Amino acid sequence: MPKHYRPAGKKKEGNAAKYITRTKAVKYLQISLATFRKLCILKGVFPRDPKKKVEGNHKTYYHMKDIAFLAHDPLIEKFREIKVHRKKVKKAFAKKNKDLADRLLNRPPTYKLDRLILERYPTFVDALRDLDDCLTMVHLFAALPAVEGERVQVQRIHNCRRLSHEWQAYISRTHSLRKTFISVKGIYYQAEVQGQKITWLTPHALQQVLTDDVDFNVMLTFLEFYETLLGFINFKLYHSINVNYPPVLDPRLEALASELYALCRYMSSGRVPGNSEPAGLIEDKEDEDNKESSKTDESELRLAQLQHQLPTNEPGALMHLVQESTAADADDADAKECRSLFKNLKFYLSREVPRESLLFIIPAFGGTVSWEGEGAPFDETDEDITHQIVDRPTQSHVFLSREYVQPQWIYDCVNARIILPTEGYIVGRVPPPHLSPFVDNDAEGYIPEYAETIKRLQAAAQSQVLPLPSLGDEDMENSLVEAIIDRSESNEIADKKRKERPSQIGRQINQPDVVDKSDTKEADDHMEDSHKQAEKDAADISKTLMSRKQRGLLQAIEINQERKKDKVNLLKKRKKNADSSASAKGR
Amino acid sequence: MGHSDGDHGSDLSADDSPWSEGSWSDDDDEGSLSFEDSGEGSDADSDEPDAPAVEESDSSEDEVAPRNTIGDVPLEWYKNEEHIGYDITGSKIKKRDREGRIEAYLRNADDAKNWRKIYDEYNDEEVQITKEEAKIISRLLKGKTPHTNVDPYPDYVDWFEYDGKGHPLSSAPEPKRRFVPSKWEQKKVVKLVRAIRKGWIKFDKPKEEPNFYLLWGDETDTADNKRQGLSYIPAPKPNLPGHEESYNPSVEYIPTQEEIDSYQLMYEEDRPKFIPRKFDCLRSVPAYEKALREGFDRCLDLYLCPRTRKKRINIDPESLKPKLPSKKDLRPYPRTCYLEFKGHNGPVKSLSVEATGQWIASGSSDGTIRVWEVETGRCIKVWNVGGVVHRIAWNPSPDRHILAAVVDHDLLLLNAEVGDEDAQMKTKGLLQIEELAQEEDNGDKKPAVKWVKHEKFDGIMLIHHKAVSTVEWHFKGDYFTTVVPSGDSRAVLLHQLSKKHSHHPFRKLPGLPIAAVFHPSQKMFFVATKKFVQVYDLQKAQLVKKLESGVREISSISIHPGGDNVIVGSKDGKLCWFDTDLSTRPYKTLKNHSKDITNVTFHRKYPLFASSSEDCTAYVFHGMVYSDLNQNPLIVPLEILRGHSSSDGRGVLDCKFHPRQPWLFTAGADSVVRLYCD
Repeated sequence: MPKHYRPAGKKKEGNAAKYITRTKAVKYLQISLATFRKLCILKGVFPRDPKKKVEGNHKTYYHMKDIAFLAHDPLIEKFREIKVHRKKVKKAFAKKNKDLADRLLNRPPTYKLDRLILERYPTFVDALRDLDDCLTMVHLFAALPAVEGERVQVQRIHNCRRLSHEWQAYISRTHSLRKTFISVKGIYYQAEVQGQKITWLTPHALQQVLTDDVDFNVMLTFLEFYETLLGFINFKLYHSINVNYPPVLDPRLEALASELYALCRYMSSGRVPGNSEPAGLIEDKEDEDNKESSKTDESELRLAQLQHQLPTNEPGALMHLVQESTAADADDADAKECRSLFKNLKFYLSREVPRESLLFIIPAFGGTVSWEGEGAPFDETDEDITHQIVDRPTQSHVFLSREYVQPQWIYDCVNARIILPTEGYIVGRVPPPHLSPFVDNDAEGYIPEYAETIKRLQAAAQSQVLPLPSLGDEDMENSLVEAIIDRSESNEIADKKRKERPSQIGRQINQPDVVDKSDTKEADDHMEDSHKQAEKDAADISKTLMSRKQRGLLQAIEINQERKKDKVNLLKKRKKNADSSASAKGR
Repeated sequence: MGHSDGDHGSDLSADDSPWSEGSWSDDDDEGSLSFEDSGEGSDADSDEPDAPAVEESDSSEDEVAPRNTIGDVPLEWYKNEEHIGYDITGSKIKKRDREGRIEAYLRNADDAKNWRKIYDEYNDEEVQITKEEAKIISRLLKGKTPHTNVDPYPDYVDWFEYDGKGHPLSSAPEPKRRFVPSKWEQKKVVKLVRAIRKGWIKFDKPKEEPNFYLLWGDETDTADNKRQGLSYIPAPKPNLPGHEESYNPSVEYIPTQEEIDSYQLMYEEDRPKFIPRKFDCLRSVPAYEKALREGFDRCLDLYLCPRTRKKRINIDPESLKPKLPSKKDLRPYPRTCYLEFKGHNGPVKSLSVEATGQWIASGSSDGTIRVWEVETGRCIKVWNVGGVVHRIAWNPSPDRHILAAVVDHDLLLLNAEVGDEDAQMKTKGLLQIEELAQEEDNGDKKPAVKWVKHEKFDGIMLIHHKAVSTVEWHFKGDYFTTVVPSGDSRAVLLHQLSKKHSHHPFRKLPGLPIAAVFHPSQKMFFVATKKFVQVYDLQKAQLVKKLESGVREISSISIHPGGDNVIVGSKDGKLCWFDTDLSTRPYKTLKNHSKDITNVTFHRKYPLFASSSEDCTAYVFHGMVYSDLNQNPLIVPLEILRGHSSSDGRGVLDCKFHPRQPWLFTAGADSVVRLYCD
């Protein structure tokens, strides 16, 4: 008799009835595997692990209810319709019935995913909670080459770019960006929207290569869902700050992007430079924004439009927004801090820095920014610029009124929430290490040196409320000075230290305890050992009474702790080695 | 067949062709060129009489016809001849002298018109093309007509004019069908009309509806905001990047070159996926090449990975350990080493404490048995028995100072020669034996035991048929039992000292017997085999209980003085406590030792028990048994006793409690006996 024998006429019970393998599910639904995949991705159905895998261990199991859920979805019928439509078109072409083929192609069956989104995320917060993957994916596709004939349609890449810019514009406008981190993989951002922490990764602004080791069908299906989701989320967010969505663009501007450029030039040249009227300035900025974006990209145009649209087109809305945000911020000191971080600072970006990222971050923290190139709101020669962001070995022409810093300074300031001293980030210098804001150093057990420096600076800033803490500043200076100290000076210091050392030792010897016990040191060691052993025994003795399961758990925890400790020790060792080698070089 | 033949033929020709190409290709090319030119070549000749050969031909030949008359034959035929053919008169045309390559090159290099010269192999002469001819050639190469004034596509001029003629070209009458509407066309039109009317065919493009709208409107109604279907398990978020993923990490996060090399030796799954790198500035950071791949992997995780809710316990490991009652309340118990009995030269394999607790005896593998005074640690007696002493047991009766020792294969009963005169006399009397008694017993089989007088030490030797492993006394001191593991049906033997009689009551045992013990107060008997403990009732001579230990191999057994609880030590370092009233399975199994347990023992008075092991430790436990049957025994580990050092991979070989004091004696492989006191 087979293991899972079921007499004829008796229904399946338990796991055998509740779960179904993938192959069987595909057969049950009478669709192809590819359609099944697509359906699962769109509906958010995932395999589940039954307690008892009746059909074998190596198979994937879906819950029968999930499959029934798929079976009742109208999408299945839609997919069938699309398949039929494709066949009809093919047949029409084969019969040279071009009229019919055209007619068919004119009205292909389409489907919408809004129902699915509401089904998967009944509340807006649910959707925000699951937004990480969506944003990462959309940003990734926005960075792909928009080339005709590649595996990804140009239109979709543009759509992704537009959506990502819309999202960034919202985050920047509401100052809800919290953390940023430049990693090798790209730039991580963390924003807080409606109390949900949303983290996403944008690739570096370089052309990605389309590799062959990925299945674009799967990715594009995911993207299809994510595009819709992000669209609806953007709509809701824009709605919440009383801005129309999608940002209404003049179709003429879109179509005549290049002509607009000339027009804007003409307009800006006609305007009196240095117009102090704020609205005029903003408008000017918008126009130039338009100009810039039109030149670079259509989607950037949209972003720029959006940016200007937010403040100007609806001043009442803006007021509303401000009121709202102040009300919300009463209990949220974090947001307030974020908004005023770069207040009264004016930034200018050089050509070589990642402009898109900085244009996103600096306004998000309340700064004003311009860039080198056409359409910048203000010029490099502007006297009010406080910081110029450059990333080149040397800066030839220097304005004394401003500071020249590397882009990392912005990111570090944002993470530390204070204006860091710029000494370490000056052009041509190797900047201090860039630390991840996502790591809890205390939990990790190892605090990098620079994190401690930043902590001190923060403490100083909090106690003094001054933008540039003098104490921390000095520290910083000290460290920097030490690095470039003269050889003679260092020798002096070394001499001093040498002198100090024997005196310290003498002091130690003078202590009576040490002298007394120096004779019986070996015995001491032995005693110590035995004491340690005794302590360990006392700790371990209760282990004998534990059940095997608990003992295993305890062991696992201990192994994990040991591993963590090893990691920290390795870091400490490396740090020590690096320090010693650096000091050796210094001498 | 025919088809295949054809194939074959074509194959053959294909075979031929390379040969012909190889030999003719050059000739063909030039020949073809010359052939085209040959018509006009004469013009060139007349214009520029450069070469002497050309001049010759000019003078003698007709202008149009070629000089050579051999016709269209392969020039190969004339390859080895002096001449290239015949002229119209039949005389041979001599080949020109071949000029050397260098000369030809020099001549050509000087001549600006060289590019227009072509060698005519057929006539063996060099022909220069005129500019017009060159133009024609270039036009031909481009696929145009040779002459510029030719228009290949002139506008069509109809030669026949219909207008005003008044009559058709054909005089046939128009067919009727030209005047009758087509039935099929009508059917088609009707079909289309119907389709249009019914809305099956729509001509206008579908209107674009607004894509996005306020999807999440009013969220106050909580009933609507529930997700339908099965419980949704959100996918775990991707890990956030640590310091090491920075483009500019601090120095300590960057592995050295040796470390990176050592990653190669690791297993693939252990190898770190990401090796931190440092870039001096942001502009030098390249695009991340695995970006798409990682995005794709995440997608796969999202839709292919089974999701389950796992409870990740984030607890303090200390809280896992059971709370033990305060040790202070459980005192006294042996804690520290108080005395060391040194004297043996080999591992002390066994020890035994006298009933009053005044003396202990120890047997070692150096072949000696020693008796020590406990209080002073003085060795008062040594017997050199000349064989390894496996086991030693002191008679539990306080007035019989008899030592039972397993020496090599056999059992030796000795007079310990301690205590007062009366006891000495009694002991001596017990150890008297008549030699002749057992000779008649000898049957066809070797007897299980022979009682023989041991002359040297004035004791009795019990010669067993096979090697003895353990000896254990009955609490009254008259009976004792020995275990012969390889003895089959005579494995467990019972001996009576007063009658000098032995017998083997158990015919069949489940597995090899390891040890046998008497019940401390009743007429019960415990036999430990490899996995089970059998409890026999001696009076009824039947099996009462069978305790399943569940360990791999039992090494020792001890009975609680109350008799209802049994502890068993095993060779995999586990100690099982059986409550025989409760179950035949262990009430508690403690895994305390990392190596074999050599002995377990209960204290007679105090609620203590101990285990000794090869890992050089001895554990002392508090083991309280309550008279209330509803209350389970309380087991508390109290102390780990260390001190013995390992020798030859062996640690503590035996442990025994003092009968009255809470003291523990341990015998070590390092030839020392230690006494642990409170």
